[in-house]
Amino acid sequence: MPEKIDLFKQLKREDYKAPKNPEFVTVKKGKYLAIEGRGAPDGEEFSAKIGAVYSVAYTVKMTRKYNGGQDYVVGKLEAQWWGDDGSDDFSNLPADNWRYRLMMRTPDFVGTDELEKAIAALLEKGKDPAIKEVALVEDHEGDCVQMLHVGPYNQESATIEKMKAYAKDRGRAFGGRHHEIYISDPRRVPPERLKTILRMPLD
Amino acid sequence: MKQTTLLDYKERMLRVLVFIQQNLDEKLDIEELAEIACFSMYHFHRMFRGMLGESIREYIRRLRLERAASRLKHSDMQIVSIALEAGYESHEAFTRAFKVLGGVAPSEFRERNGTMGQLPATSGVHYHETEPPSDFIPVVSGGESMEIKFEVLEPMRVAFVRHVGPYSECGEAWDKVTTELGSKGLIDSQAKFVGLCHDDPEVTPPQKVRYDACVTVDRNFVPEGEMGVQEIEGGEYAVVTHFGAYGKFGETYAKLLGEWLPRSGRALRTAPCLEVYLNDPEGTDPEDLLTDIYAPLEPR
Repeated sequence: MPEKIDLFKQLKREDYKAPKNPEFVTVKKGKYLAIEGRGAPDGEEFSAKIGAVYSVAYTVKMTRKYNGGQDYVVGKLEAQWWGDDGSDDFSNLPADNWRYRLMMRTPDFVGTDELEKAIAALLEKGKDPAIKEVALVEDHEGDCVQMLHVGPYNQESATIEKMKAYAKDRGRAFGGRHHEIYISDPRRVPPERLKTILRMPLD
Repeated sequence: MKQTTLLDYKERMLRVLVFIQQNLDEKLDIEELAEIACFSMYHFHRMFRGMLGESIREYIRRLRLERAASRLKHSDMQIVSIALEAGYESHEAFTRAFKVLGGVAPSEFRERNGTMGQLPATSGVHYHETEPPSDFIPVVSGGESMEIKFEVLEPMRVAFVRHVGPYSECGEAWDKVTTELGSKGLIDSQAKFVGLCHDDPEVTPPQKVRYDACVTVDRNFVPEGEMGVQEIEGGEYAVVTHFGAYGKFGETYAKLLGEWLPRSGRALRTAPCLEVYLNDPEGTDPEDLLTDIYAPLEPR
């Protein structure tokens, strides 16, 4: 059996680079298990959707492992955020109008049949119906500016400003959904020590 | 209502220290020592290590070597006999161990009438020919003020696979239980991953450590194959979060059971501590791992 695949580790210097100061990265086309939602990240819907994507991600992986298929490490939780008016800059909208897509990077060899099987198995055991909204999607963000944010989620704006200035100085501008990759576990890690990779796609 | 105080804990631990000193030539069974102090075997060793700053084995070994130093200095006993009395089967092994203590070989120590005779010990307890220990200094290294939550757990029904062997190799049991349950749609984000260690990996020989890799399941679950089902006792627990590698649980247990517990006014139930793993060890750097350690409390 070939070694376990860990995309986050493999792409640590590329798609998942986490520099202390803004840097350009080119994010490759990738597959994600994903689920969409609306509203604030401290709301009930948000936690339910996180639960759904985690449940499916682990069921897909465990089933594959159980059947002797190529094993891999379940990706970190990521989220894209935008406004429900279609705007990329949602910072001035009330939280009720925020839209998000929770994502977990998944190896290309994971197929839709595996996703469907996992969802069916979970639903058969009476797990949360939100599970059936989880989809396997492709995304290709291409050129982005990226930086590690350390601190509470609600203090990201200073980091974002830095990223914006970096892009502008080099003749580029933001053009896409704000993307966060959650490195730390907010259940126990104090807010001032939370690590999040921030990614802004460029025009 | 009687509160178990630091004084009680110290007094009970002291009984063990006195017994050890008076029975240095015996095999000194840890279960027997736990009984002398009326501590549950599940917790005794960790409490000892946490309060005294060294494991029972290290403590006994140190006292035997200190006695050997005293014999070399104050008696004409043959070195071979002293070695045997200290529990060493060969002269060489004794010499090696003694050099650590006295800085020189036993024969040289005797010739020089060396003044050394005690190994460093934070507890302040050393071998004495006639006087058994009457007090000791309990470790204080921050554990006394560690952040503890109290949680009342409902009894938990869990599916589990038992691992017998070195604690560091329990991964195989985890693979079995998670793939077996996961492939049947039985693991969702609400599932708890609990480690139940029936033996203390620091005392029990590695080949014999029994560990259950447990995942919570509902009433309808019927186990198959190597899997079993058990109910983890409900009740009140003291909970502390261990930050970092699993290999360092020993330090957190020592602080919790040796420093916090004796000052808490509480006592432990005769049941194993629980380890609840909060993140995925596969995709998480060891220093970012989070584990809640649950110590089962006796009702007030």
